[in-house]
Amino acid sequence: MKSATHILVVDDEETICEALMAWFIKDGYRVETALSGPQALGLLEKKNFDICLVDVKMPGMDGIELLSRIKEKQPEAAVIMMTAHGSIQTAVEAMKRGAGDYLCKPFDPDTLSLLMERVMIHKGLEKENLALKERLQEQQEEGPDVLIVQSEAMRKVFSLVEEVASSSTPILITGETGVGKDLVARAIHSKSPRAFGPFVAVNCGALTESLLESELFGHERGAFTGAVKTRRGRLEMADNGTLFLDEIGEISPKMQVGLLRVLEEKRFLRVGGSSPLSSDFRLITATHRDLLPLLKEHQFREDFYYRINVISIPIPPLRERPEDIPVLADHFLKRFVEETGRHLEGFSRKALEHLMSYSWPGNVRELKNVIERAVVIARGRIIGAEELRFLDPGKPPSSFGSLTLEDLERTHIQAVLASCDGKVSAAAKKLGIDRSTLARKMKRYRLES
Amino acid sequence: MNENSNFGLSISESGRPEREINLLKAENASEGARAHLDLFPMGRIDMTAVSVIAANVQAILGLNTEVHPPQPEPDYAFQVRREQYEAGKIIRSLEEIEGGAYFKLAVVGVDIYTPILTFVFGESQLGGKAAVISLLRSQSKNRGKSYDRAVKIAVHEIGHLLGLTHCRTVDCLMAFSNNLEKMDELPSRFCQACEYEVGRRLRSLFSEKD
Repeated sequence: MKSATHILVVDDEETICEALMAWFIKDGYRVETALSGPQALGLLEKKNFDICLVDVKMPGMDGIELLSRIKEKQPEAAVIMMTAHGSIQTAVEAMKRGAGDYLCKPFDPDTLSLLMERVMIHKGLEKENLALKERLQEQQEEGPDVLIVQSEAMRKVFSLVEEVASSSTPILITGETGVGKDLVARAIHSKSPRAFGPFVAVNCGALTESLLESELFGHERGAFTGAVKTRRGRLEMADNGTLFLDEIGEISPKMQVGLLRVLEEKRFLRVGGSSPLSSDFRLITATHRDLLPLLKEHQFREDFYYRINVISIPIPPLRERPEDIPVLADHFLKRFVEETGRHLEGFSRKALEHLMSYSWPGNVRELKNVIERAVVIARGRIIGAEELRFLDPGKPPSSFGSLTLEDLERTHIQAVLASCDGKVSAAAKKLGIDRSTLARKMKRYRLES
Repeated sequence: MNENSNFGLSISESGRPEREINLLKAENASEGARAHLDLFPMGRIDMTAVSVIAANVQAILGLNTEVHPPQPEPDYAFQVRREQYEAGKIIRSLEEIEGGAYFKLAVVGVDIYTPILTFVFGESQLGGKAAVISLLRSQSKNRGKSYDRAVKIAVHEIGHLLGLTHCRTVDCLMAFSNNLEKMDELPSRFCQACEYEVGRRLRSLFSEKD
């Protein structure tokens, strides 16, 4: 990935800049040079660099000051200080301010190449470490619930996951809210050759068009009010990994055109930027909506649809695979027992029948919430039908007068939000839906938290 | 054949290549045809090494090589403070030579450097027309090995002149070798990708001109 590595050389001696540039170009890096601190800062305003080689002694702004400015502007860049007059004091000062290493000019060919190798490995490890931490945190929050399956339908889903994981073909995951589309996307990523790269997830339904644009493409400093510094977009962050765009059915046709261009050309610009960037990612999209009617209504572009829907993975709702309910319920029971420290051994026969007969509109997420609640309120060692009475599958409300389904949904959301003091996360949990789904519905019904 | 040579094109003590691969078509590299590369020995150096380099450049790359009479030591490039010769100045002096072959290669026996490195085995500009190599640091008690190294350095630098960057394949002459140990491990051949690229660039440069 050397060609993707962008290096900035800053030295007031032109011959040094030229010699380093020639050396790095021959080694396959992308290089730019600056003859002074201010010139370097100008470049740092416009472009992102992975590694900066900075001369300590320069007229005007010296290397140590420039080092601090680089760390402010681009903290992820590795800075290597260079000097022709090596002193331990300067080296210590540079390291204190965040320099990655220190070189005395002229360098031994061995030293320079080994140093570059070390910096590249370190940067790779940093990225990998960050991706692993994020994955670990996500796993602790969510758990691999979707992997607990018994049904033939879900086994088919996972055999398809195994088959498609190794390629880089775009995948569209469809299914109702709460079936675990994001977990299937993570499963594909973790089984793919990109597993050690980042898994970058964006919920398109939870963001406005302009926010989504900035989130995906990133922005340059000053691109719009509030853009106080340059920010990398999710497309860039997903380099060598997987980009997961959830609720893709919610994005505007304009954004579809922008994304289509990225997928076709593999290049994009940050908002307010002029230098094209490239990123090598695998795209996985998901939606709970049926996109075909949207195509007919011209709300969803046909060309974009066929670009993202090369492989389709439909996930069946929980009610269509009741054999998964007992294994999932058991899995959640064990997890919550462990978390709460309560002594519960299982479900009564009636409780299981109750779970099996319910329609689970909120799917696996709803089941998880129901079990969590049952664990908390259970009195004996077994969860009985009593603890699940609130599900009441056989007793729907008799009548809501002349309310439409939308009115009913809005009223219910409003009531649940009020009971949770306007807290969106708590209300989402109570409703058995994802926070972003609730946010989307609140936006639709113009409800405030 | 020299047993110590790990050179794909094995070199005997006499310096003649024993196997010939030719990236530029044979008819272009025929005897009497116009030279593609002028080779300038400079100062006191082993002229057998120069002949070996010329023969192998011709054999490996198919470049007609003309060896010029020995030139004086490049004193204009001497840097008193470093007690070494600046490679860039030698390259510039080659570029100033009017006429002659498309590529020019200087072979020196003195220690050469660039402003950032303590020394270099050879130096060239990516996609340029002139390069310089030094025989000083690549010398071994075993003459075959010395010649082996000299050829590797020369062909590597010509690779840069043809626009090739360092190759990440360990088994390729365009891989970066920062010390003699690594250089000795390198084969004297390009990997498939570099070989294709070298052939393509040579053909685009010389096929129509010749």
